[in-house]
Amino acid sequence: MTHKAMTSSHGNAHSEGAKMEQIITEFFAKSLHIILESRALFMSSRNSLGDQVVSSPSSSSSSTSSVRPRDKWFNLALRECPAALENIDLWRQSNLEPIVIDVVLVQRPVDWDPASFSPKRVISRSSSMKERYPFSLNSNQEELGIETKSENIIERWVLQYESRKTRDSNSNSRRSSNISLHTLYKKSTLLLRSLYSTVRLLPAHKIFRELNSSAQIHPFTLVHRVSSFVEPFTRKQETKMLKFGFTPVDTASGRLCLSVMYLPSASDVSSEPTTPMSPQVINDYVGSPLADPLRRFPLTPVTGLQSYGSPSSLPFSRRHSWSYDHFRTSPPSITCSPSPTYSESQTSVSTANSRHFPPASLPPHPTDLSLIQKKNTGFGECYPSPSYSMYNSGSLPSRTLLRTESAPVRILASEVANSPAYPNKHYLPPSPPLRGSRCASKTDRCMSMQTSATAEKLFSLGKDESRKYSGVKTSANSSPQISFSRSTSRSYQDDFDDPDFSCPFDIDDDDMTDPGSRAESFDHGHLADAVEAGGYFPIRKSHDASVGVLVHLLKKAPPLRQDLSTSENLSQGLHPQILKNNIEEPNQIPEAPMPVSMMSSGLIATRKTTADALEEFHSYREIKNLLLTRGSKNQM
Amino acid sequence: MNCEVCQLKELELEHFEMREVLRCILHTIVFHRALGLVRPKDVDMELFDITYVQCGEVELEKKIDEKIEQFVCWVEKHPNKKSQICLSFYEVKNKQASWFSNKVERLYWEQWYINLNVSQHPKAHSVKSHHSKVVDPGEGALEDRTVRSAALEASLRDVLFQIIKFVNEKKDHVPPIPNIEGPVSFPYEITIPSSSDSAFGMDMLKRMLQTGHPTMLS
Repeated sequence: MTHKAMTSSHGNAHSEGAKMEQIITEFFAKSLHIILESRALFMSSRNSLGDQVVSSPSSSSSSTSSVRPRDKWFNLALRECPAALENIDLWRQSNLEPIVIDVVLVQRPVDWDPASFSPKRVISRSSSMKERYPFSLNSNQEELGIETKSENIIERWVLQYESRKTRDSNSNSRRSSNISLHTLYKKSTLLLRSLYSTVRLLPAHKIFRELNSSAQIHPFTLVHRVSSFVEPFTRKQETKMLKFGFTPVDTASGRLCLSVMYLPSASDVSSEPTTPMSPQVINDYVGSPLADPLRRFPLTPVTGLQSYGSPSSLPFSRRHSWSYDHFRTSPPSITCSPSPTYSESQTSVSTANSRHFPPASLPPHPTDLSLIQKKNTGFGECYPSPSYSMYNSGSLPSRTLLRTESAPVRILASEVANSPAYPNKHYLPPSPPLRGSRCASKTDRCMSMQTSATAEKLFSLGKDESRKYSGVKTSANSSPQISFSRSTSRSYQDDFDDPDFSCPFDIDDDDMTDPGSRAESFDHGHLADAVEAGGYFPIRKSHDASVGVLVHLLKKAPPLRQDLSTSENLSQGLHPQILKNNIEEPNQIPEAPMPVSMMSSGLIATRKTTADALEEFHSYREIKNLLLTRGSKNQM
Repeated sequence: MNCEVCQLKELELEHFEMREVLRCILHTIVFHRALGLVRPKDVDMELFDITYVQCGEVELEKKIDEKIEQFVCWVEKHPNKKSQICLSFYEVKNKQASWFSNKVERLYWEQWYINLNVSQHPKAHSVKSHHSKVVDPGEGALEDRTVRSAALEASLRDVLFQIIKFVNEKKDHVPPIPNIEGPVSFPYEITIPSSSDSAFGMDMLKRMLQTGHPTMLS
């Protein structure tokens, strides 16, 4: 098992502390596993291709009944549950943050009149389900007509470690804490037993069973989001829910708390709308080769990021439902690291932006296009036929790899240094949704991490400078990043749609020259690793650069509003030459060619999406504010 | 060592529901006390919309089923009686032979009493209506049954929650996890009213007096 040794190894006291911490960590992991195992839908279909073929050493195939190390923890052998493993991988990198798991019942009412859409059925946020979970709805493409979704949180599990602030008691009673290690283990084992049966007793399990047992398509589905903060219920919601608190387990330095709030009437809700579905449609659907991948959708949303963070930001994904594929493809565990460094760099990016960039910059989409463009180029080099589908399937394995227990930790700094140029960013865009496991702020941090390398490269911001911002977690919560990722994936599609963009771009060798900034970031390395595993080496080329530019552009977004009045104006402002200069000047970094190309390609797109962009920027701001508030709250 | 006792809420049920209900309750309890390496097995009940968990151990399953059969027999012989099944967990301590034990002493640390009220009436009634009441096989009766069954399901759920709560609240008395193979970590016994007509309490007394009595100890 991954040993989470946060405490240094001085003496017994520490190793004891480490053991305790390990128990706590594994307790979290096991709890999450237990819950998701019987809430995450694609479990049953997970035997399909990629998953097992490339499964990592630590997670052997589910069919084997042999005892895995993971099973030995708390003497409880569980079924394989990729969703849980993904989330746990991410969580392990945090410092015993709470885990909040929302189980959401998503309904797609047939013949439901949107006008009469009752707010009651929608959870606190008012945007439609689809917007929040663009990836969770399998049938987006098939049923574009049906926009009305309703979602209900039917269960909320809160798992947290309440540590006692006063550590003195710990040192005083070293002996007693030693004894209590066994007790701690025994008690957590007992707690997990009762968790295991509780999960099956709650009404949500009925829904899960129903969805999981039959091949029939239901007008509802279950989706789960994992994050590390609680989004409060409305009073109305709260009154409808029951709470069951498991008795906390005391440890030497705190206690393990687990509780669930659930909607007692959940199962009734689910059974109502079953009938209206037309069986014919369903049959075809199930039979089709697509059925399997599609079925995973609900899982994918595992990532509540979007849902939590950005109620209003989804227009993108919605318009391009395609992008989910992209997401699915990418490794979910892209690793976000909690380390402040990343957020720091994020901050620096924005600062840099404001300093260097003229007001007239591009809306996000155009940039993406060029980004994609670049991506493709790189890709094409290695693969004779850079078809989308190929890319897609190819990367599947990497995802699997990432998901495994210890994979994320295996980052090789040296490797990163050797192959610095991999624009892991390639995987970035997909990550946010997948990473639902992460809380919004975390994702942001991650995003910022991603951008950090770029930022440094582009702007030559000294580390010292960026350090100033270290520790400012909230600073990472700015919306642009989110939009960035989303728009990227989206544009990916656009790119394919647009023949104009098929010409290859030069690959930016410069990327190779700046290993230092990246090597320092563990996550980055991890990404690179992952990408490599997936065989997508080439794609990474020059990604850093493009991402950086993109971030800049996004940062620059506000001015766009003013320019918007005339599209003329806008296009002028966007002149490639200008942008190029702006980018180049401050940094003296020879990345100019890339940005330029980006700009030019971006131009085209801009014209068609200017209005959208404005809208989007508005929503970004909202999100940003939202995240900031939430983030600061969370970090208290 | 103190022995915690949990009296489970009484369930009113019909004869045909006994087996499944008992299986559900007994397995649920044992699962919570099976602290060895367990690979849990979900069981969806046939009569109720409830999923419970088994340890997936054949021996255990067999033993539980056996006991249930004995209990059903007892109930058939003693209709309209409230009945009780006791599931106890104990530790074995070697001890000097004394007047009532054979060198081995059982230290009970937990006892679960499952209280059942098996009613024969509904069954009798339905059989009767089948034969005599041609006109009205009974929408009403059917409805009754549905309502009753739903009520039982709810009570059973309550009982399961009661178990979970008890397990949660009382952890201190559980002995340390022994290092053994197999999921069932502690010795246990299931006690049913004996085939004799004596009261259940009497049985318990008898059990204490004659350790190793085949019908009472497993």
